[in-house]
Amino acid sequence: MIRLAGLSKSFGDRVAVDDLNLHVPRGEIFGLLGHNGAGKSTTIGMMLGQVWPTKGEVLVCGCDVTARRQQALQKVGAIFETPMFYDYLSGWRNLEILSHYSAPTPRERIREVIDWVGLTGREKSKVRTYSHGMRARLALAQALLPQPELLILDEPGDGLDPEGIHEMRQTIRRLHRELGLTIFLSSHLLSEVEQVCTRIAVMNQGRKVFEGSLDQIKQPQSWVQLRVDDFAKAALLLRQEKLVVEERDGKFIALAPNVGTDQVVRRLVEQGMAVYEIVRHQQTLEDFYLDLVRR
Amino acid sequence: MFYLQLRNELWKLFAKTRTYIGFLMFLLAQNVIILIFRFTNGPRANMMRTLEGNGYLAREFISALTVATFMLLPIAYMLLPLYVSLVGGDLVAKEAEEGTLRMILSRPISRARLLLLEWTAGAIFSFALVTALGLFGVGFASLWFPWKGLFVFIPGELFSVFDAAAGWRHYAAAHLMMATKACTVMGLAFMFSCFNVKPAAATILAISFVFVNFIMQNIPYFRDLQHWFLSYHLNIWTFMLSQTIPWWRIGESLSILLGFNLTFLAIGATAFQLRDIKS
Repeated sequence: MIRLAGLSKSFGDRVAVDDLNLHVPRGEIFGLLGHNGAGKSTTIGMMLGQVWPTKGEVLVCGCDVTARRQQALQKVGAIFETPMFYDYLSGWRNLEILSHYSAPTPRERIREVIDWVGLTGREKSKVRTYSHGMRARLALAQALLPQPELLILDEPGDGLDPEGIHEMRQTIRRLHRELGLTIFLSSHLLSEVEQVCTRIAVMNQGRKVFEGSLDQIKQPQSWVQLRVDDFAKAALLLRQEKLVVEERDGKFIALAPNVGTDQVVRRLVEQGMAVYEIVRHQQTLEDFYLDLVRR
Repeated sequence: MFYLQLRNELWKLFAKTRTYIGFLMFLLAQNVIILIFRFTNGPRANMMRTLEGNGYLAREFISALTVATFMLLPIAYMLLPLYVSLVGGDLVAKEAEEGTLRMILSRPISRARLLLLEWTAGAIFSFALVTALGLFGVGFASLWFPWKGLFVFIPGELFSVFDAAAGWRHYAAAHLMMATKACTVMGLAFMFSCFNVKPAAATILAISFVFVNFIMQNIPYFRDLQHWFLSYHLNIWTFMLSQTIPWWRIGESLSILLGFNLTFLAIGATAFQLRDIKS
C-alpha cells in the first residue's frame, strides 16, 4: 500500500529525512514512532505530495506520488494533528467543500459518514461551536468521504484528553475491523502506538532506526532483574562463572545462553549472598524506544 | 466538477466577514461624501462655478450620476486597491496559515487547478466589489439628487458632459473597465500570497507595488517612462468618461494588463508548485 525507497528530504542544510525505506502492506495498522522533529510529519507530507522529496521514491496505492499525485491519492484519507476547518461554515458545508476536491460526492454519502462518526444533529452547526472531540470526528468524516483504502493519521492523539485518546483508539480499531482500512499513523505517544499498531518503525533524527512487529519487541529478553545487597559483586561473580554475559543499570543481568534463573540463585546462595528478588524482565516499547534513540 | 469546486471557493470566500469590509467601507465613504455634498455649500458652489465658467447650466448637471462619479475618483484610486488586495492576499496565504491548505492538498487535486479556482473566485469578488461600488454610489446619490446629466472633471485630464442616458452608459462602461483594475491588483496580491508569506505581507506587498508605481508615474521627470508603470494602465476606466473614448489607448492598456495578469498568475503558480506545504 505504501512503499518508500531511499527517501530523503533536506531543508537547506538540515536533513529532515535521510534515506528512508519503508513498506506497509495492505490491511496493516502501521505506526511511525519518533520524538518531535524526528521527521515523521515530513515523511507524511512526502506521502501526500505536499513536501517534495530531495531524493527517493514514494509509492502510494501503487502510484508514484511525485509524478502521479492525483491517481495516488484517489483512495487515501488523511487527518492531521490539529484538524483545521473553515470555522465560519457548518460541519456539513466543510465536508461538502473538502469532498468535492476528490470527486462529486452525493448528499447520501455525506449523511452516511456523518452518522458513522456520530455527528448527526450537529452537522449544520458552525464548526467554531464544536468541541475538540467533535472536530476530531469531523476530521475523520472528511477523511472517510472518498471511501479510502488507506488512512494516514498524523499525530492523531495530539491535543486530546484521555477520554478523547481512548475514543480515537477505539475508532482506529473499528476502522480497521469494519472497513478493512490500511492505517498509517505517526505518533510520539508510545502507548498510542503500542495499543493499536501491528507493526512499527522508529525514526530518530530523520533516520529509520527500527522496523518490525510489536511482538518482536515484546519478546522476552534474556534480561533479568536481580536484587541483592551488592549487585556489582554478584554480577562480577556470575560473569566469572560464565552465567551472565552483560549487566546494566545496577539491577539487570543478561543471562548466558541456556542458563536459567535457578542456576543463578543457587550459585549466589552458595557464595553466601542473599537474593531478595529475581525476575525476568519483559521489555516494554518504552524501554525499546529509549534504548534506540539513546544509541 | 469545475463549477462545483468554484461554487465551494465562493462559499469559502463570501461566508467570511472580512470579505465584506470593502463593501461596508464603500457604503460608509460614499454616504459621508454624499451628505457633505448635499448639506454644505462650498463643494457644490465650486462645482457650479466650474460648470458655469465653461458655459453650462449648472443645475442640469448637479445630479445623482455626477455625484456618484466624482466620488469614484478617490475611492477607485485609494480604497479599491486596498480591499481587492486584502482579499487577494488572503486567498492562498490565509489557507496556508490556518492549516486548511494541508487538508485540501491531502486530496487528489492538482496545485495548478486549486490556484485557478482560487484566482477565479478572487476575480469574481473583484467584479462584485466594483459592481457594488457603482450601484451603491448611484443608488445612494439618487436619494438626494435628481436623475440628470453627468458632468466629469479631472483637472488637467478630463472635462466631459453627457445627458442622463449617455452619462449612465459611460458610467457603466467606466465600471466595467475598473473591474480590470480590481482584478489585476487582486492578481498581484494573489501572486504574493502563493509564496510562503503571511496574508498581511502579501496584501502590503501588493499595495506597496501599486503605490510605488503610482508615485513613479507621477514624478514629472519620469513622464516619458510612464507607460512602463502598472498604474498607468490600471486607470483606463477614466477614459470611458471621456467625451471621445480613446479606444486605441484602452486596447493597448488592456493587452498590457492581460500580460501582467498572466505573468502574476504564472509566477504565483510556479512558486506555489515548488513550495513544500508544511504545518
